[in-house]
Amino acid sequence: MWARVIEIMLGFWLVISPFIFHHPADQKTLWINDLSCGFATVALALFSLWYPLRYAHLALIGVALWLIGFGYLTSPYPSPPALQNNILVGLLLLMLAIVPNEASLPPQSWRDFSSEEKSSKDRISGGA
Amino acid sequence: MKDGKERYLQTPDLDVQAPPWKHNPSSWRHRVPICLLAGVAFLIASYMALYQWRLINNVWDPVFGAQTQKVLDSKVSEQIRRWLHVPDAALGAVAYLGDAMLGLAGSTRRWQYRPWMVLLFSLDVIPLGMVSAILVVLQGVAVGAWCFLCLVTAGISLILIALAYDEAWSSLLYLRRVWRKTRSTRILWNTFWGWPSRAADEAAQVTKGGS
Repeated sequence: MWARVIEIMLGFWLVISPFIFHHPADQKTLWINDLSCGFATVALALFSLWYPLRYAHLALIGVALWLIGFGYLTSPYPSPPALQNNILVGLLLLMLAIVPNEASLPPQSWRDFSSEEKSSKDRISGGA
Repeated sequence: MKDGKERYLQTPDLDVQAPPWKHNPSSWRHRVPICLLAGVAFLIASYMALYQWRLINNVWDPVFGAQTQKVLDSKVSEQIRRWLHVPDAALGAVAYLGDAMLGLAGSTRRWQYRPWMVLLFSLDVIPLGMVSAILVVLQGVAVGAWCFLCLVTAGISLILIALAYDEAWSSLLYLRRVWRKTRSTRILWNTFWGWPSRAADEAAQVTKGGS
């Protein structure tokens, strides 16, 4: 779950980014982009904590790619801090989004597989 | 009788030897040092990025003195920044943080259960680490100035490669055994993404008691 927690923190960082980087009031795209990506990140990370939506964090790969692409494609040189922020947060999010929920356990499918193997062995040997 | 909950909680033996080694390269004993070292390199790279962003005005260098700033402000570095929009030290910091995070993710038998994760982690550590170490040395040659902290991170990159290659090798050999056994691209693909099969389980050829 640690990846989801860091994602939620990164999402909040994006939400407060317009205020930290002082987006000018007329730069609507920057405001909308940071706020919507931030809230989407928090929401998707929270959704993944609910079992039926446990794979929601994979959608963060899309958010991450969007942030990176937005930063690269709209950036003049030298790049303004707000867009560098988008690129770097996007890269971090990309790495976090692929980390599974129960990161320290084997995948559920392998756990099922091995417990089935064990119980069939038990049956053959006449155990429990 | 095993009820559902007990079955759910049952996990396979995680501390097993991963062929061809007599140890378990996915154990915490092997992975935590990698994460700590990568964390140190992350902090150093972030520190240099702070200078490239001019959030701090000078960089500590006990050996080469002002040469570090020459390297960090060099034409090469500026060119990279023009292409990639972020300072090269910040990208390095992201890569080291990636080493640490992907190093922490996964069970202590992930070489078998999540080959994709091990191989992604190894891609970050091995080729990227080599490239960054080579770039650091090239920069010293091209700019004619040396940067102590850059050399430290390059050294850490090389140590990380030495510490991490055994796990990648276990995963690759395991995938090769699955392929030789089944000759099925579908099973190989599933195994890569961590979906179980009897063939993959047999191909793992694990022995208990690795650490």
